[in-house]
Amino acid sequence: MATNSIKLLTGNSHPQLAKQVADRLGINLAKTMSLNYSNQETSVTVGESVRDEDVFILQSTAPGDINDGLMELLIMINACKTASARRITAVIPNFPYARQDKKDKSRAPISAKLIANMLQTAGCNHVITMDLHASQIQGFFNVPVDNLYAEPSTLRWIRENLNVRDCVVVSPDAGGAKRATSIADRLDLGFALIHKERARPNEVSRMVLVGDVEDKIAILVDDMADTCGTLAKAAETVMMHKAREVVAIVTHGILSGNAIETINKSMLSRVVVTNTVPLGDKIERCDKLRVMDISPTLGEAIRRTHNGESVSFLFTHAPSD
Amino acid sequence: MVRNIVILGGNSHPQLVEKITSTLGVPACNRILKKFSVGESRLEIQDSVRGKDVYIIQSGGGKVNDNFVDLCIMISACKTGSAKRVTAVLPLFPYSRQPDVPYNKAGAPLSKAPTDVNRKDFTFESRPPTPSPFQPQSQGLTNGTDVLHKKLAKTSLDQQNGNTYTNGITPRRSDATDSLQSLTNGRERKGSQSHASQHTFTTHDYENTALLNKSLFNPNPGYKQWVAQAGTLVADLLTCAGADHIITMDLHDPQYQGFFDIPVDNLYGKNILKRYIQQQIPDFRSAVIVSPDAGGAKRATAIADDLNMEFALIHKERRPTRITDRQNATMMLVGDVANRVSILVDDLADTSNTITRAAKLLKKEGATQVYALLTHGIFSGDAIARINASALDKVVVTNSVPQEEHTRLCPKLEVLDIGGVFAEAIRRVHHGESISSLFWQ
Repeated sequence: MATNSIKLLTGNSHPQLAKQVADRLGINLAKTMSLNYSNQETSVTVGESVRDEDVFILQSTAPGDINDGLMELLIMINACKTASARRITAVIPNFPYARQDKKDKSRAPISAKLIANMLQTAGCNHVITMDLHASQIQGFFNVPVDNLYAEPSTLRWIRENLNVRDCVVVSPDAGGAKRATSIADRLDLGFALIHKERARPNEVSRMVLVGDVEDKIAILVDDMADTCGTLAKAAETVMMHKAREVVAIVTHGILSGNAIETINKSMLSRVVVTNTVPLGDKIERCDKLRVMDISPTLGEAIRRTHNGESVSFLFTHAPSD
Repeated sequence: MVRNIVILGGNSHPQLVEKITSTLGVPACNRILKKFSVGESRLEIQDSVRGKDVYIIQSGGGKVNDNFVDLCIMISACKTGSAKRVTAVLPLFPYSRQPDVPYNKAGAPLSKAPTDVNRKDFTFESRPPTPSPFQPQSQGLTNGTDVLHKKLAKTSLDQQNGNTYTNGITPRRSDATDSLQSLTNGRERKGSQSHASQHTFTTHDYENTALLNKSLFNPNPGYKQWVAQAGTLVADLLTCAGADHIITMDLHDPQYQGFFDIPVDNLYGKNILKRYIQQQIPDFRSAVIVSPDAGGAKRATAIADDLNMEFALIHKERRPTRITDRQNATMMLVGDVANRVSILVDDLADTSNTITRAAKLLKKEGATQVYALLTHGIFSGDAIARINASALDKVVVTNSVPQEEHTRLCPKLEVLDIGGVFAEAIRRVHHGESISSLFWQ
C-alpha cells in the first residue's frame, strides 16, 4: 500500500491560519492555485497528486467574500474527489451561514442545512469545525462532524491574563447562557445574564441584567462577534451595574461593518477573539483587540483524525503552543 | 394571466424578470434578497409559495458565485416552503465552460520538442477560448498542439537548469498591453501572505509571464495539474438544493444536460438570431454565415441551412505547415467571403478574443462588413474596449445577462430581447404543453 499521508490544502480565505496549522503538523501546504477568471468564475488547480491520500481542506470565511469562499471550497472538494482522494475532510473553523439554521419565519431558508447538503454533494467525507452557532447543525450532516471548542483556549487566556477571583462571567444573551455557565463552572465563578429584546437582525433594543457584577471584572462570553452592537450594548449595561471592567471573549471575530469603530467607542476594555476568521488590518486599527491562536487545536484535531485517535481530549484541553 | 405560478427573481437580472412577469401577466414574487454585513446572503420570501409552481430567474453573469449561492438558497427556501415544483431559469448557465486539458492527438505525451517552430508566428484562437490556467489565452500563439511538446520540453529543461517552471506559458505578446488593466476586475485581496493562491488573475494574465513568475505556483515535477471541472458539481448542487427542472439557453456544451438527473430544457437563441438576420441585414441572402471555430460549426450551419445562405468556417491548422500569407498564420478561412457581408455566429463571447480576431481575418479576406451574432455577451475584462477597437461593424447579443452598461460603452452593440422566449417557455412548462415548437418555430 502506498503511504497514506496528510495533504493540507487551503483556499484563499485564510492562508495564514493554514500556514500555522501546516507548521504545527510539520508538513507543507499542498500546491494549489485558485483564482477567479475575468468572468468571475472560480477555478481551482491542484498541483500535486492527492490519489489515495488523506486530504484536509482548510477554508475559513472572510467577511464580505462568503459566497466566493464557499464556491472555492466546494470546487476544491470536488477536484480532490475526482482526483481519487481517499478521504476529504473540510476544516471550516467558522461555519458559514450558521445563523440561518432554523425556519424562524414562513419561507425562511435554512441555509445552514443547504450548505451542509452542498458540502456532502461536493464529496466531503468529514467536517471539522469550531464552536458552531448551534451544535444541532451537526445533525444537518450525514457525515461525521467534529465540533471543536475554543473553551480550553479561553480558559487558559483568562487564567493567564486576568485575576480569576475578581471575575464574573456574563452571557450577553439567553442563547449563550449554556456556553457562559460552562466557563463559569470550570473557573468556579459567578454568573450573570443579559436578556435582550431583538427587533431585527443586527440590531439590539433593550437590555436587562440578571445577576450581580458590582466591583468585578465582567467577562462577556459569546460565540461570534459580528457588528458588535450586542457586545457594546452589553458592556454598557454591565458598566451601568457598577462593574470594574468589561472584557469580551469571543470565538469568531467576524467584525464586519463598523465593528472596529463600535469597539473603539464602547466601554469594553479588551476584546479577545480567536484567529478562526482572518482579521486583516483590524489588529492595527483597534488596540483593544487580542488574538488567541487556535491553530494548535486544529492541527491536533487533524493529526488525531488522520491517525484514528480520539478527538474528545481536545474538548477539554488546549494543546500547548 | 397564468394561475398558481410564482415568478421569483434573483438580483442578477431585474430587467429580464420584469420583462417575463409583464409578458406572463403575473406580478413578481415579493422578496428581500440582500446581504448581511458579513457577506452572507439574506433571503425573505414574502408571498406564499405553498403548492405553487415556482420559477426562479437568475442569470450567470456578474458576480457568478454570489448569484449562484443566492439561487441555491432561493430554491431551497421555496422547497422547504412547500412549493409544488421549483424550476430554475438560468438564461446563462454559470460554469458552463469547462477548462480542457490540452491533449495530443495520439494521447501520449511527446518526448521531444519540435525545433523548427518559429516562436514569433502566431495564429488566431479557434475554439472558443475555454479558460484554463495552463493554457495561454490564445492557444495558437504556439501553433496548436505544439503547446504540449513545448510544455514538456520546458519542464525538463527547467528541471535541469533549476529554473522556476512557468507552466508552459508563452511569452507575452508585445501588443497585449491591456492585460494588466483587467487585473482590477478579479478578486482583490488585502494583506498578501506568501502563498500562491493570493494573486489575482484573469484569463488574459496567462499571457503575462512577469506576473506568473511571481506567483510561486510550481506544481510537483512530472505531475500534470488537476484542474477542477466544475460542471458536474454545479449540476449536482442545483439538484441538491432542490431544483426539479432547469430551463436555460444555448448551453456551451449540449452534453451538459447529461450532468443532471432532472429535466433540462435547453432553449435555442437561434430563432431570435435568425429573425435578426432576416429583418435587419440588407440583402442577407448574399451574405455568408461564418463560424469562428470548428466547434461552433454545427450551430452556424443550422442557421445557414434554415435561411438558405452560404457558409464559411475559420479553421485552425494544427499541422505544422509552412506559413504562407494566404493562410494568415495558421488560421485558415474555408469558404469565400470576398466582397460580401459576413456574419459570425457563436454561442458566447467572454473576452471576445475569438470574434475580434476572426473579424480581422474576414476583413483581410475582403469581407465588406462583419457582423457578430452571439447568444451570450458576457464581455468580461477588456472585451468592450477590444470590440470598439476591432474590425467588427456590429455585435448583436441577447439580454441573457444585463447589457445596459455594455450598450452604454459600446456603440456597436445591439441587444435582442429573450424575455418573450423565456416567458413562453415558462408558460408552456407550467401548463404541461410541449415546448419543442419553441425549438423549431
